[in-house]
Amino acid sequence: MSRLFYDHLLDLDELETRVKVITKDREEQNEIFRLIDEIVHHRVVGCILNHLPEEHHEKFLVHLSERPHDKQILDFLRDKILEDIEGFIKQEIRTVAIELLKIVADENSPEVHKLKARTLRKARNG
Amino acid sequence: MPQSARDKLKLKHLDEINRFNQNFASAKKSLDQKGISLSKLREHSNKIIAAGALASALALAPPQGDHLLPPPKEIIEKVTRSSSSLPVETNAVVLRKVLSQVLPEEPRALTEHEEKTLEQVILETTGVKAKANLEGEHLNTTYGLIGAEQHLRRYPGDTLAQHKPDADEYGGERVDEIIEEGITPGLGAWGYFAPSKEAFTPDLEETERWYAVVQTLYLPDWEKRQPYLKDWYKYRKVLIVNTENGKAVIASVADSGPAAFTGKQFGGSPEVMDYLGGQSYKKGAVLVFFVDDPNNEVSLGPVDYNKI
Repeated sequence: MSRLFYDHLLDLDELETRVKVITKDREEQNEIFRLIDEIVHHRVVGCILNHLPEEHHEKFLVHLSERPHDKQILDFLRDKILEDIEGFIKQEIRTVAIELLKIVADENSPEVHKLKARTLRKARNG
Repeated sequence: MPQSARDKLKLKHLDEINRFNQNFASAKKSLDQKGISLSKLREHSNKIIAAGALASALALAPPQGDHLLPPPKEIIEKVTRSSSSLPVETNAVVLRKVLSQVLPEEPRALTEHEEKTLEQVILETTGVKAKANLEGEHLNTTYGLIGAEQHLRRYPGDTLAQHKPDADEYGGERVDEIIEEGITPGLGAWGYFAPSKEAFTPDLEETERWYAVVQTLYLPDWEKRQPYLKDWYKYRKVLIVNTENGKAVIASVADSGPAAFTGKQFGGSPEVMDYLGGQSYKKGAVLVFFVDDPNNEVSLGPVDYNKI
C-alpha cells in the first residue's frame, strides 16, 4: 500500500514526465523517484511542524508513526492548527516541485513554466 | 539523466534531510525513538497496512466505511430490489450501485473483508474471477487513482504512427484520439514486447493495446524477491473497474509506476483509459484486481457485461 495521509494532495505529473524524458534507465528512474519522494516527505512534515503548535508535535508524530496512511491525521491537524493546513501542504508541494524541476529540467522549460503558472493560479484562487 | 542533474538531486536530498534534522531536532529524536525514518515513510506505511494494522491506532478512529459488510448476494439483491424504476437492470448498473454502497467515498486501503466482498460482487456481475490476492501476491492497493499513460515502444524502431488502430480495431474510427497521448520516450519496465517487428505477434499487440501500470517499484519485497516477482508481474492480467460508471476492462501489466508523488497508483494505456472513461478521461478512481486465469482463457480488452 503506497499511500500516505497527504497523497491526495500530490499531483506532480510534470516532474514524473520530465524524469522519464531525461532518464531512460529504469533503475535510475526508480532511484530518482525515491529521492524525490523522500524530499517531499521531509518538506511536508517540516511544513506541518512549522504550522503546528509545538505542544502538539508529539501527538502528530505518534499518529504519523502509527497510521501514516490515515487521512484523519489531517482532521487532527485542522483541529490544532485552525488554518487551512491542506492549503499549506499543497503550497509546499508546489514550491518543492518547482525547485526540483529546476534541477531536472531547464529553468525555461515548458514544465517549469506550467508548474509556476499553476502555482500562481492556485495562490490567487486561495 | 545528465550526471550533473543527478548529483544535484542527490545533494538536494541530503540538504533537505539535514535541514529537517537541524530545524526539528526534537521531532527527529522522537521519530528515531519510534524507529521511524521519514525517508522510509512509505515503506513504513506499507508494512503497517500489510500487517493488517488498520484499526490499531491509539487515538484515531478506524477509517470510515471499515465496517462488516453484508454477504455479497444480499448486497446485490438489496440494490436490485431498491430500483423499481427499471424493469430489468444491466449488470453494469448493478455493479455501479453496489460499488457506490460498498466503497468509501475516496480511495483508501480496502480491508480484506471488503476485498473479498468485491471479488464476489465482481464475479456475480461480470463473470470475471477477480482476486485481490493471487498466489500470495497482493498489489499495494486495490482501490486507487488511475492516470493516462502513453503508448509503449513495442519493438526496436516502433513509432507512434504504427500504433494507429486499423478500422476494425478498437478506436479505429477515432485514430487521432487513440494516438493523442503520444509514445513513451523510454521503454516499459519489461523492455520491448518483441525483439523485432517480425517477431511481434497479434497477441503482443493486444498486450500493449490493453496494458496497465502498477506500482511494483513500491512493493515492500520487490528488491528481495527478484527475479520471481518481475516474472510474476510481467503481463499479469488485471481487471480494472471505473468505480464511477462501472465500466471494466481486462488489462495486462506491462509497465511499472506511476511515481508516488503524482498522487496516482495505477496507469492505463490510451485504449484502457478511453474505454474506461472516454477521450477526456485522464484520471479517476478504479478498482484493480488480479484475474485468476491459469489457462489463459480470458481475453484482454473491454468486459462486455452490459447486456441485459
